Amino acid sequence: MSDVREFNTRPSGSPGAESPLAWSFQRQGTPPREARPGVTLREKAFLGHLILRGGAIVLDEAVRETLGLALPARPNALVQDAAGERSIQWLAPDEWLVIVPGGEEFTLESQLRQVLGQAHCSIVNVSGGQTVLTLRGENARDVLMKSTPYDVHPQAFPVGKGVSTVFAKASVVLRRPAEDTWELVIRRSFADYCYRWLLDAAAEYGVIVER
Amino acid sequence: MSQVNRLSQGGRIDRSHTVKFTFNGKSYEGYVGDTLASALLANGIDVVNRSFKYSRPRGIVAAGAEEPNAVVQLGASEAAQVPNVRATQQGLYEGLTARSTNGWPNVQRDLMGMVGKLSGTFMPPGFYYKTFMAPASLWMTYEKYIRKSAGLGRSPTEPDPDSYDHINQHCDVLIVGAGPAGLSAALTAARSGARVILCDEQEEMGGSLLDSRELIDDAPAVQWVDRVLNELGGMQTVTLLPRTTANGYHDHNFVTLHERRTEHLADSAPTVGSRRQVRSRLHRVRAKQVVLATGAHERPLVYANNDVPGNLIAGAVSAYIRRYGVVPGRKLVLSATNDHAYRAALDWHEAGREVVAIVDARDNPRGDLVDKAQSLGIRIITQSAVIEAKGADRVSGARVARIDAKLFKVAGKVEELACDTIASSGGYSPVIHLASHTGSRPTWRDDILGFVPGEVKGLTPAGGAHGVYPLNDVIRDGADVGTRVARAVGIDTAADASALPQVAARQDGQACALYQVPHEKQTMRAPKQFVDLQNDVTAAGIELATREGFESIEHVKRYTAMGFGTDQGKLGNINGMAIAARCLKRSIPEVGTTVFRPNYTPVTFGAIVGRHCRELFDPERYTALHQWHVEHGAEFEDVGQWKRPWYFPRTVNGKKESMHEAVARECLAVRERVGILDASTLGKIDIQGPDAREFLGRVYTNKWAKLAPGRVRYGLMCKDDGMLMDDGTTSCLGENHFLMTTTTGGAAGVLEWLELWHQTEWPDLQVYFNSVTDHWATMTVTGPDARKLLAEVTDIDLDKEQFKFMDWREGTVAGVPARVFRISFTGELAFEINVQANYAMHVWKTLFDHGEKYDLTPYGTETMHVLRAEKGLIIVGQDTDGSVTPEDLGMQWAIGYDKPFSWIGKRALSRSDTRRTDRKQFVGLKPKDPKVVLEEGAQIVFDPKQSIPMVMVGHVTSSYYSPSLGHGFALAVVRGGHERMGETVYLPMVDGTVHEAEIVSPVFVDPKGERQHV
Repeated sequence: MSDVREFNTRPSGSPGAESPLAWSFQRQGTPPREARPGVTLREKAFLGHLILRGGAIVLDEAVRETLGLALPARPNALVQDAAGERSIQWLAPDEWLVIVPGGEEFTLESQLRQVLGQAHCSIVNVSGGQTVLTLRGENARDVLMKSTPYDVHPQAFPVGKGVSTVFAKASVVLRRPAEDTWELVIRRSFADYCYRWLLDAAAEYGVIVER
Repeated sequence: MSQVNRLSQGGRIDRSHTVKFTFNGKSYEGYVGDTLASALLANGIDVVNRSFKYSRPRGIVAAGAEEPNAVVQLGASEAAQVPNVRATQQGLYEGLTARSTNGWPNVQRDLMGMVGKLSGTFMPPGFYYKTFMAPASLWMTYEKYIRKSAGLGRSPTEPDPDSYDHINQHCDVLIVGAGPAGLSAALTAARSGARVILCDEQEEMGGSLLDSRELIDDAPAVQWVDRVLNELGGMQTVTLLPRTTANGYHDHNFVTLHERRTEHLADSAPTVGSRRQVRSRLHRVRAKQVVLATGAHERPLVYANNDVPGNLIAGAVSAYIRRYGVVPGRKLVLSATNDHAYRAALDWHEAGREVVAIVDARDNPRGDLVDKAQSLGIRIITQSAVIEAKGADRVSGARVARIDAKLFKVAGKVEELACDTIASSGGYSPVIHLASHTGSRPTWRDDILGFVPGEVKGLTPAGGAHGVYPLNDVIRDGADVGTRVARAVGIDTAADASALPQVAARQDGQACALYQVPHEKQTMRAPKQFVDLQNDVTAAGIELATREGFESIEHVKRYTAMGFGTDQGKLGNINGMAIAARCLKRSIPEVGTTVFRPNYTPVTFGAIVGRHCRELFDPERYTALHQWHVEHGAEFEDVGQWKRPWYFPRTVNGKKESMHEAVARECLAVRERVGILDASTLGKIDIQGPDAREFLGRVYTNKWAKLAPGRVRYGLMCKDDGMLMDDGTTSCLGENHFLMTTTTGGAAGVLEWLELWHQTEWPDLQVYFNSVTDHWATMTVTGPDARKLLAEVTDIDLDKEQFKFMDWREGTVAGVPARVFRISFTGELAFEINVQANYAMHVWKTLFDHGEKYDLTPYGTETMHVLRAEKGLIIVGQDTDGSVTPEDLGMQWAIGYDKPFSWIGKRALSRSDTRRTDRKQFVGLKPKDPKVVLEEGAQIVFDPKQSIPMVMVGHVTSSYYSPSLGHGFALAVVRGGHERMGETVYLPMVDGTVHEAEIVSPVFVDPKGERQHV
């Protein structure tokens, strides 16, 4: 689709990059280390984020060929590669979120466009606009229950599920890539609010931030 | 005399842990496991409050949520004040400090007592309306004192140090109440595999079993409670919530629970390790099924002086004796209509105190408990009732007489029995409040003399909540309901009778109906017979209300205040309805009930607010450059949820610039050298698809068919009513690829607007929209030196012939891939640099590294506003208000009436009203006095000498002082303004001055637009 202007927004050199949480870490700091924290937070910064929109059938063929993953067809499903580094998440009947290691996103976008040819679709790089925050620990689910009206009970939210939902007064993509891990995909401009909310909500359980 | 009423043994209190507490300034002792109420009774405190209206002394009446009198103000320090706490629901802790809520200056002698005496002892319903409302202007004065002396509690004046939160819960079955029915239902539902939440408002779970004398499986009932709780506690799918009140039942089985987590421990939530606990928590439960196992409240009988301290409901007597080891008196008279009430006399007797008599309204009571009382030699007086209590600050006797309930009269001689306590029981009212919250009307059942819940989808009552009272029936009913609700959520399970515990069936006789007890005198002349103790509503008051024409029970309620406020009619409502029914000669179901409303008991504001307060009240959205702004002293302005730099005051010679000074300096820097603005908050929408161009043509008023890749165009977006809703530039990135910008505040709304039209009206168009607002950081470099500065850090050819105004180019800036747009909101040469937000800080700082020699000046939104206004560029939402068309703005050049497709708003712009020539039109205003800066929002008139009300012909939308022009200037809308250039208009101000201004073109600086094209 040469009619769409591809643009690699990631510099080839290495000018200093700042993740959406850089200012929060600087201002708020991270809580003191605890021996037995109930909640552990970690930012997975600078990953490649692409939004795919289009018909499921053509996109499925394209991601199988380029990424080696099947497009999740079920609503709110999340698929990942064996290492958990590359994932595709259902967002809407014609919309998926692809997350890959930082630096892979532009190559993937170009490959996808080549495979897709003239098929009607859109691929949008949003790597600078969002970041991933993981929550682990025995109270991680309690903190989520304080934050989102979505049902996060293991029966209702098994591993391999992901949803777009309300988080406090912001919105996030919430997913469960592994038994003991939750991921929040948060928008850059709301990152500080979400971070402060999480620290506050987790305070009664003890919380640490891994950097 | 410490704990004079405490028994040496028995109860569920921990006698090894003494607790000190303070009530009305005096110190007392109680035990862990006490409530404040049981500890007060143990210490022989008779008077706990003054009544709301008549200021009569009041004592503790009940042992649970229905307590009307013992409403206290809690908290040792100012910050810890909590109003309207029921002493019966407050666990005792070391250092607890409580005061009576009513009775200023104190409970023994108070102001309202005087008022009561001065105005006679007769304060009819409507007293406040009738007495204090005139003159209306003085009500504010009266109200202050009435509230202080007779009102409810007060809120703290210092910030609350505690934290509170909300938690969202989902379950198959929510069970409200952990008495026999709730426990039985929970066990059955949980065993079937359902996700269960069981909540109970008391300090411990067990409900009526905690003071029951009945055996389950041949052992005290509490042992069964422990076994059930153990089993439930071990299940992953079960959540047990003690000290948690279900306050509100909302639509679709959404129930709010108020969990008091640390209120029983201290004034303020304790810290565990370094972790501050959450004081209380609001559970927002979305349940597939709700089981109402809330039991029943005992109804007191309504007799004369039934409010004198020492009058209790019968069940409360048993609860205090059996749960707390407290006998609240020495000599008891029980006035009852049913067998169950006999427990009070039996417990009293077994505690070693004297039961003077049981006065039973029935002819010939028969039943196991009656037999037991008889075998103990207790005197039983039948077909009679206590018609009046004697005593002032404490009961000193009971006047007992034979009564005829049907004819409503005393039918025999009055006997006076000496006693200090009167317990009464007129039957039981199922606790149906939650079911009523949904609007469902309850149903009267003559067989149980009570209302049961009406039908509510997804709600099932169990046990006492729908009139099932014998314990073995209650447990079976709970189990049946547990099975039924599990099946209702799709679990295949069947009732298992063998799993039920064994309870010996008790034979109870039939209860009789008695609400108000007749007195020798007529109701209006008899001593006060209280129906609603909390709101001081008497039987005479209800009778008067019906006589004054209030026939609907809802009107009676409002006229008398029965069941108002925090009470919500727990003790008194049914009695009140029965009295109204008697006066109106109707049946109780004909009179009906009033509506119970949330909340069931008061909820603290802390729990309602949760974590949504202080710095977490609302999200603050930051750009990627926020840290730099903070470190460079920016003052911030809220734009939607964004924090945008407003201006950057410098400190000159130790003095910080005022906003006016900073903005003047920033404006001149842009006009003369170069300034930089963080414009990252502008909405950005990536549009891809073969029909993208067609779509743009339909949502914008102007033409997009010929915009070539590499070019940018300004567009106006109207709602379908033809009024401007947003504006911005859209760039052609590729033949099928566009980047739309929106206003900061309009971003989300515009994206939704595009999706709405695409999904509902034009699904055939092949186009997708995605927000990229957060992905890109945008910095505007603008001013005569902008090109020179940018050239130092970019590989893009900035030659004015190669990179024209309204072009965009891509390349790198400071080594970072960038799209640069030559668009200008200042009227100066301007480049908007867009880079991926993660690299924005690097680019911004590099620009400043190179910018020193050009005096690169950061500027904020205020300077941006001044600069754009000097150019007559609008801000949607400031210069427009949803009633302004593009033509009103003089933007005919941006309207493509001849486009082939009828774009949104086109039809509306041909209406006669939008074609009027005297619409309010967008113009510039130049004040005659150059020192004047007009007020934004000021109204405009053509003739200042006309009489008031003047004909207002427009208003000022934007107004500033222009440092470049050296005078104030404004943008405005004026009726027919486009044809009135050069005319003078007038702006009358509040203080009487009238400003004069000339209507001019809204473009004040560089009318030909030469500066942005250089």
